Amino acid sequence: MSNTYIPIPMKLERIINEDPDRTLRTFDLSFVNKQDEEKFSYMPGQFCEFSILGKGESPFGIASSPSEKGLLKFTVSRTGSVTQEIHYLQEGDIVGIRGPLGNWYPDEKLRGKDTVIIGGGFAFTTLRSMIVYMLDHRQEYGKITVIYGARSPEFFIFKDELKEWEARADITLHLTIDKPYPGWDKLIGFVPTVTKEVGLDPSAYVIVCGPPIMIKYTLPVLSEIGFEDSKIFTSLERRMKCGIGKCGRCGIGSKYICIDGPVFSLEELKKIPESF
Amino acid sequence: MIKIKYEQLSALIDFLTESYQVYAPVKHGKETAFKKISSASEINKSKYNTSLNPKDIFFPQSEVMFTYTKNGIKSPPEQGKPIAVWGLRTCDTKSIRMLDKVFANAYQMPDKEMYKDPYWIARYKNCLLFSFACNEPPSTCFCNWFNSGPYDSSDSDIFVTDTGDEYLLEGISERGIKFLAGYPETSQADQTDLDKIKVLREKAESYMPPVVELSGLKDKLLKIWDDPVWDELSAKCINCGACAYICPTCHCFDMRDEGNEDKGKRVRLWDCCMYQLFTKEASGHNPRELSTYRVRQRVMHKYNYFVENYQQFLCTGCGRCIKVCPVNMDIRQIIQKILTYKEV
Repeated sequence: MSNTYIPIPMKLERIINEDPDRTLRTFDLSFVNKQDEEKFSYMPGQFCEFSILGKGESPFGIASSPSEKGLLKFTVSRTGSVTQEIHYLQEGDIVGIRGPLGNWYPDEKLRGKDTVIIGGGFAFTTLRSMIVYMLDHRQEYGKITVIYGARSPEFFIFKDELKEWEARADITLHLTIDKPYPGWDKLIGFVPTVTKEVGLDPSAYVIVCGPPIMIKYTLPVLSEIGFEDSKIFTSLERRMKCGIGKCGRCGIGSKYICIDGPVFSLEELKKIPESF
Repeated sequence: MIKIKYEQLSALIDFLTESYQVYAPVKHGKETAFKKISSASEINKSKYNTSLNPKDIFFPQSEVMFTYTKNGIKSPPEQGKPIAVWGLRTCDTKSIRMLDKVFANAYQMPDKEMYKDPYWIARYKNCLLFSFACNEPPSTCFCNWFNSGPYDSSDSDIFVTDTGDEYLLEGISERGIKFLAGYPETSQADQTDLDKIKVLREKAESYMPPVVELSGLKDKLLKIWDDPVWDELSAKCINCGACAYICPTCHCFDMRDEGNEDKGKRVRLWDCCMYQLFTKEASGHNPRELSTYRVRQRVMHKYNYFVENYQQFLCTGCGRCIKVCPVNMDIRQIIQKILTYKEV
């Protein structure tokens, strides 16, 4: 029988420094074995366990889009022992991944509908996956509006792509930073405030992903604007370990984030104790 | 129902070992535990349950998930013969069935390979569980709160009654019935034996505490989830985790790497929601920072969350956690307090 606990080998193709502190790095991986690539079928919003043998593994949302064939992208913030080791990696190194794990953003529901995507900080990874996926199948979706906040301009990730998206007419981008910064001519203010002010149409679907504090203050704003709980989706994170609902680490109420989530609607979350 | 005399036990164990890896209660230092045996002489005969739980047979406290070298990953060796367990108590048999639900697939998920735990399945597959009637349940037992009792044979493959000089073996599951049909000893139990069972059963049941009605427990827990009563309920707890390690149904685990980049192994280890590190994230954020939250988590998991997912409590009433708690926390008192508590 297959064994979900065994990592599949991946080659590290490219490392991109995302911020001046070098605490955020994006890792582009390719499959070592063709048959692993063929079996690996995922959707935006899913996550993987990223392994370095001998050092352990940690869960990360997949930042690449399924439409980017042969590529798996992860942005990793250097925070703990495993992420430290990931930052030490060199291009050409072999690492392991397990996945795809968990559920995904409600793509079926978004088809033909307007979508608002709200993100903060480096939690923009799976949102990038969703946006790239939508742009690669552009005619199948309605209006796409993105609100993305970071501490300062340097801390946006995927800066080159943000520029490309800004130049496009088929996606609206609202970039905001926490406080004034020399040369910044876009929005200033926290994500919840910006969300309130940009004039969103509450008939759209919303996907929110960011630090817990941002999610906590953004959700009430969305409700105030008039978005229904069943149309607001967010992605949660805990220390997922096994990834298949056994090890007990990522429990929230009777759910496990690794199999029932990480994506939940606000309607679902309101029924789960411990979700915020 | 067949019967075998005490002195015939070694023949039965020898017969079993031909086709099974046989586990039975043995003395293990100051404890009693289930270990692999090769002859009946190793068995620790006791009227009480083992002090350590039997989950270790199928879900070891630590196990190698795979080894690796520069050349790649290697899975651990195959299990070999299926496992037979002699000397389980009915509560422990039930606990193994509960864990199987967790490891065999994931609740509400489609039956898919990716949700199956291959390590558990390799050991559990084709296992044969002999569970014993409890003739003298000690004062910490409360299996009768869970629609069970000292003579509950459900979930057993073969149900065994120890009458004092012989074992009466009754096939319960198809696998159990088939095994007994293939066993050379065919001395059938008679009416005298059945009468003996009746007397023993009545006596055993008289040892049990009054039944506490638990049908309202799940909903009550959800109602008081946010209530300050948890401060009081958890005040004594020192988060040592003994209750979770001794519990036959707790299944949380950790996965760790041992070795360096050239060679090593990934192991899984029992873990415990009583520990602060269990949920602590690298960022420093901890969703269960306080001891109160962790005690609540353990109680909620056993008597609400698991019920939600699997329609049964994740507790058999074996009483081990009551015996080992260094600060005398008693889950029976916690349950009763919750049931009678008037929420704020």
